[in-house]
Amino acid sequence: MTTRTLRGLWVAVCAVAFAVLAYLYWRRVWLAPPGAFVWIREGVRHELLAPRMLGTALLAPWFVGVLAWSLADLPWQQRLLSVLLRSGFALLLGLGLARPVRATESDRVALVVLVDVSDSVADEAIADAQRVVNDAFAAGRPDDLVKVVTFAERPRLVEATSPDGRAAPPTLVRHARSEAAARDDVGAGTNLQAALQLAYGLFPPGYLRRALVVSDGLETDGDVLAEANRARQYGVSIHAIPYRREPPAEVAVRELVLPERVKVGETFEVRADVFATRAARAKMRLYQGEALNGLDGVRDVELEPGANSVVWKSVVRLPGEVTYALELAEVSADRFTENNRIATTIDVPGRPQILYVEDAPEYGGPLARALTAQQYEVDLRPPSGFPTSLKELERYDLVILSDVPRERFPASAQTLVESYVRDLGGGFLFAGGENGYGLGGWQDTPLARVLPVRMDAERMNRTPSVAMALVLDHSGSMTGLPMEMAKKAAKATLDVLAGDDLVSVVVFDATPETVVKMQPVRNRTRIRSLISQVQPAGGTEIFPALDRAYGLLNVTEARKKHVILLTDGKAPSGGIRELVSQMIAESITVTSVGLGSEVDEQLLRTIAEVGGGRYHHAPDPNSLPRIFTKETERIARAAAVEEWFPVVQTDHASFLKRLDVRSAPLLHGYVTTRLKPPPAVQLLANADTDEPILARWRVGTGWVLAWTTDVKTRWATEWVGWSGWEKFWGQLVREHMRTKDRHELELRAELRSGILHASVDAFTADERFDNQLDSRLTITGPLPGSDKRVVPMRQTAPGRYEVEVPLEKHGSFLLRAEHVRELEDGTLRPVAVSRGHVSNPYPREYASFKTDEATLERLSLVGGGSFAPDGLARVVDPAGERIPSHGELWSRAVMAAIAVFLMDLLLRRVRLFDRSFRVARARASARGGSKRLARG
Amino acid sequence: MSGLHLAGIDAATLARAGLGLAAAVVVLYVLKLRRRPIAVPFAALWQRVLRDRDATTLFSQLKRLLSLLLQLALVALMLGALGDPRSAAVSVTGRHLVVLVDASASMKATDVSQPRGEEGPRRTRLDVAKERLRQTIRGLSGNDRMLIAALDSTVTPLSTMTGDVGELERALDAVRAVDVRASYAAGLRYALDSLRGLPNPEVVVASDGALGEATDGRGPVDLGSAKLSYVKVGDSSSSRNVAVTGLSVRRYPLDKSRYEVLVEITNTMDDAATVELELVGDGRITDIVKLSLGARETTTRFYPNLSGADRTLEARVRLADGAFDDLPADDRAFALLPERRRARVQVVTRGNMYLDAALLLDEYLEVVPVEPDAYPAEGAFDVTIFDGVAPPVAAGSGGVLYLAPPSDEHTPFKLGARLTSDVATPLGFDELDDRHPLVRYLSLGEVNVGRARELEAVEKKDATVGRSLKGTLLLAGRRKGKPFVALGFDVRDSDLPLRVAWPLFVMNVIAHFLDEDTGYISSFRTGEVWSIPAAASEKTATLTLPDGAECLIPVKDGRAVYLGQEAGLYGLSLGGERSGFAANLSDPAESAITPEPELKVGETRAGELEGFTVGARRELWVYFLVAVLVVSALEWLTYHRRVTV
Repeated sequence: MTTRTLRGLWVAVCAVAFAVLAYLYWRRVWLAPPGAFVWIREGVRHELLAPRMLGTALLAPWFVGVLAWSLADLPWQQRLLSVLLRSGFALLLGLGLARPVRATESDRVALVVLVDVSDSVADEAIADAQRVVNDAFAAGRPDDLVKVVTFAERPRLVEATSPDGRAAPPTLVRHARSEAAARDDVGAGTNLQAALQLAYGLFPPGYLRRALVVSDGLETDGDVLAEANRARQYGVSIHAIPYRREPPAEVAVRELVLPERVKVGETFEVRADVFATRAARAKMRLYQGEALNGLDGVRDVELEPGANSVVWKSVVRLPGEVTYALELAEVSADRFTENNRIATTIDVPGRPQILYVEDAPEYGGPLARALTAQQYEVDLRPPSGFPTSLKELERYDLVILSDVPRERFPASAQTLVESYVRDLGGGFLFAGGENGYGLGGWQDTPLARVLPVRMDAERMNRTPSVAMALVLDHSGSMTGLPMEMAKKAAKATLDVLAGDDLVSVVVFDATPETVVKMQPVRNRTRIRSLISQVQPAGGTEIFPALDRAYGLLNVTEARKKHVILLTDGKAPSGGIRELVSQMIAESITVTSVGLGSEVDEQLLRTIAEVGGGRYHHAPDPNSLPRIFTKETERIARAAAVEEWFPVVQTDHASFLKRLDVRSAPLLHGYVTTRLKPPPAVQLLANADTDEPILARWRVGTGWVLAWTTDVKTRWATEWVGWSGWEKFWGQLVREHMRTKDRHELELRAELRSGILHASVDAFTADERFDNQLDSRLTITGPLPGSDKRVVPMRQTAPGRYEVEVPLEKHGSFLLRAEHVRELEDGTLRPVAVSRGHVSNPYPREYASFKTDEATLERLSLVGGGSFAPDGLARVVDPAGERIPSHGELWSRAVMAAIAVFLMDLLLRRVRLFDRSFRVARARASARGGSKRLARG
Repeated sequence: MSGLHLAGIDAATLARAGLGLAAAVVVLYVLKLRRRPIAVPFAALWQRVLRDRDATTLFSQLKRLLSLLLQLALVALMLGALGDPRSAAVSVTGRHLVVLVDASASMKATDVSQPRGEEGPRRTRLDVAKERLRQTIRGLSGNDRMLIAALDSTVTPLSTMTGDVGELERALDAVRAVDVRASYAAGLRYALDSLRGLPNPEVVVASDGALGEATDGRGPVDLGSAKLSYVKVGDSSSSRNVAVTGLSVRRYPLDKSRYEVLVEITNTMDDAATVELELVGDGRITDIVKLSLGARETTTRFYPNLSGADRTLEARVRLADGAFDDLPADDRAFALLPERRRARVQVVTRGNMYLDAALLLDEYLEVVPVEPDAYPAEGAFDVTIFDGVAPPVAAGSGGVLYLAPPSDEHTPFKLGARLTSDVATPLGFDELDDRHPLVRYLSLGEVNVGRARELEAVEKKDATVGRSLKGTLLLAGRRKGKPFVALGFDVRDSDLPLRVAWPLFVMNVIAHFLDEDTGYISSFRTGEVWSIPAAASEKTATLTLPDGAECLIPVKDGRAVYLGQEAGLYGLSLGGERSGFAANLSDPAESAITPEPELKVGETRAGELEGFTVGARRELWVYFLVAVLVVSALEWLTYHRRVTV
């Protein structure tokens, strides 16, 4: 085989070896998952951080291959050894490059001293901290490490070096406010948590981690207690030294407390909580809006060390947003002025709005005046002015419907009232009168359903309900159709009246004649027969006929006595007015009907007016039956009782508590009704009959009250003059009106680290959770100002809605949450509102100055360190603790490589094998010399 | 580079070692390898050899010297590597980088390309972020310094500001994603604090970009002169995720035996999806329902009027087609129902049938009557009722209800004037704090009281719950963490026992003491500092985490404080008592995992992370050793070809 062939074979073998090695490297090293080159030896964990550098082993075929062309004069054994050494050398260097590491342990301590230099810390306390820092640098061993972080609103690493270039204790200084903070008006602060987090990044590996907190424990941002166990988790032991210097002389207004609800015109207390670190004097000014508080505006106060409470009286005259601000001036001992002012804004609702609908507004004076005197806004309207939408009606807190006939109050308005009470929580009072309840035809109406009383009243005693006298003109002029129609009308009344009712028919011309004596209507057949026999004759004399009717009714016992007078001609009027006056005094009412155009309309009107009845003009005789029927219906269904009676309280009610109803005067009439079953409650009743005068019940979220007498000078004429009249109505309305704006839900608002946390719990009327509301919170402020933010509230639990909003500015903020529900048709229905306020008066840094040792103690307790240690020896003492660290082993591989390198060099320089040629040459030399000698 | 210092073997030692090794090498070179004698048959060759002798001798000497120098250089390089030379710690040209590695829940998303053919857990966005950052770390130039910090609900630096590749890589390995939303502002503020005063500051955010606005209680973050870089991970085209974004349970305020559950499901995808929702109570499936959700739709399901013994609730959601979504972390949520435990009530009385009757109403009460002389009874109680007596409160009495206390010697309030009712101003509750839980669902306004003692609050936080025009009648407060309630009159001197309000009032007081208020929330949200109700007398509590690990947490003002970052069921041990609670991510914004294409801080838009040459290492010793390898490989060839000797 030629040398060339041998070399080719040699190279081929080397190439194959390289390929095999490369394949193995690719599979075992290059594609190895992380952590594949980890091994435990004698309990110590070893690892190659960069195993791919083991690829240097691929140089071995090169070292072998080169031998094919080698000119070195070395024996083959030495060449082989040299190749092995050189490959080992490369492998060792590769091993070094692969960065072998092993876990080692160290007890070196790295201490980070965290020093609070915030504004709440006194200068003397910072001087104390400086001594602690100096001690920390002196206390440790030479290979320990000390770093210092000062913190206020943000932390800073502070470093200093001694002239010899070594780390030295830095001088502690307060932080200047950052430009950004000043620009954003975020104020001073203390963030211990951020300081601790900065410290984590200062502990080098292989050091025991110790943090020493020197602070007053008063934090304004972050939560260091929440960080305590995290610090422990990251192997940081926390020690704490509280500042125990007396805080600087400082006075701070901490809180301005106002009642949850303030009413216009009502005096209330404003409480200011003022904290003073030392006894001090100060001048306090309380502002309501821009002006000094009217009742009590300026005070000179002596403040004691600690919390001081200063109470002021105030009253709000106008509704709306009212901002109260308290300012301290001329404080005898004070360092910061930022905390000398605080403002709180409340939303004062206006006077309660009452909608008073009166059929005859001119008679609404007594009740309207009483309510106005009780601080209500009264909107007195006729039925035609009743709001046409729920939104319009929503403005009112209570609606009074007084003496309005059904026909003047459309069904749509009745439905509105029901929704107003049921859904919006409004109050509704239905007052009687001659058009109220049955008198106004309210039976079987939507409104009747929501009233706590029924109108189909049964007789409460045996007294006939109605006694009616029909006084019919049968003069000659009535001949023909008028007479027939008059008789038909008289007969028609019988169909309307009940059987127990009494009826009498008096016909008159020049003289009266009693055709039908006063008798129960049940004798209908006989009465009709008697009426049919009436024939026209003679002239027209009204007085005697009325007088006859008076005589008949006067001796009749009935709860309602009424006369219907029908005439078609003129008659002398002498004495009629007086007679009718006398009749009305006996509770006998008179209605007059004028037939045709010849009647003395003036006289008939006077009779009706004085007689408490109505005047009907009937130009067409055919209308007579309808007029009579209607009039009789009115009287018959009225079931009104017009008699003097006392009122008695039959059940408890808060608004009646301080009202002695027994001392109230008599009422002079009411409409008979019957209490519906519970939960309807009868509060006031006719003391004689026990029939309801005032009843109430809840409908949905609101109240409905039935007042069966009137609120005017007709039946309540004596009550209007009663001393308790205003108070009675004032208290009644206050208890039953919508006390909250719609359905008001409580809003809880809290400020934590500059973040507003607001939450609302929504319940339905049956105390179930009110879910799937669309809730939005409007934040107005800082006040005075008109900045508004609207943020959606998210439902986080059944019935619970929450939101978190950062409040970057200081001041007073007004909160209002609107809760609406989306109906199936896509419209939004308001459900409730929530109101609240929150005050972010000034940086919290200026609110507290007394060291919070409890926080620092717990911090060190959970952090595994010591609290208020006597010296720093314990802080920097490893106390047997050791920390694992990665020990780099690459240098050992390099050292080994150097050794191998030297051995390789030695192999090149010293022939270790094949030394026999020296002996052979000596022998050969000896043999050659002997030969030469032999030849010579 | 302003200068070098040695981080390895010090210069003096190196110098000594260098001298020794150099001497050794020189000595070896002084030795001359004995050559083999070779018989040369042709004498004329010698003439040629002898003729070139002068030149070859010189060349031979030069080669020998060159060879020596080469070996010395190799030794020097190796010794230099052992010295571990580094550039000076502070360099005016180097960059200082704080790398915020997003460790929020969305970084657990698996919508990234998975290694081909590899089995095991799916790769997450965090894995990809780490991979890219590892390359960046190895591309740090000699003067660059880097700090790795995990950005979760707060920020946790995991390394120092260093150029040590090993430390940085170990820090990177330690980043672990948790079930929270990242606190962007806190991370940036930390980064700026760490970069304060350092040249060429740069904040690197490795994230999917779902970080929200960089603002907090102190306003928007101002980056100042710091550069912002963004290492974006996640695939916006393929993110699939449905999530349980809300689960909570509350007992009804009136009927506490029943409760209602809310489950909120969110489809964060741009396509409609059908999902399967499972509600599991105490490990048993309570309900399974299929829901169709539109693109980016959130739906809320309520389970009203539930009853039974279910204590733990879990809601699970998955895609109905059986496919996995990209973020399993938000597919489950937990809630814990407030336990209705049997409350122990100690009644210290000489007999009060009205009180006995009221206490009979709740079957969950264990009532122990005690004669005043025998107080306290054995054992610990949740509630103690002092009826007409006011002895010193013994330990283990729980919340205390005072009914008509005869004296204020041992009471946490003062007794004021004696009040009587008269016709003009009857005695009763003229003003009530309707919002206070003690008078919830009660109508006390109509109660008539014959006679009473006025109650006077001692501490500012004491709440006047009810008062007549003549003075306070109902007072509530808390002393050393224990609540008390005081009623200023004997109920037998009023018509209160004849009303429905009386037993309800007693039940309200007990519920108030037991903290069975409807304010109870069945789960906390991860990423927030939890204030867990705890006995005020303790300073620390032991918290059991969902994985079973335990940790010590502080207790202050009756609340245990913990920053929770993992969803699941927790246990709290405090003074021998154990309680539990649940925590959920409950964050629709975090569940919407579609990555953001760009990252901004205010108006500053983050740029690409640039200037890192992958593979370049900053330790000089590495280059020294590589040089040694290369040189020795070449020298091997030259030696064997007799270029060097």
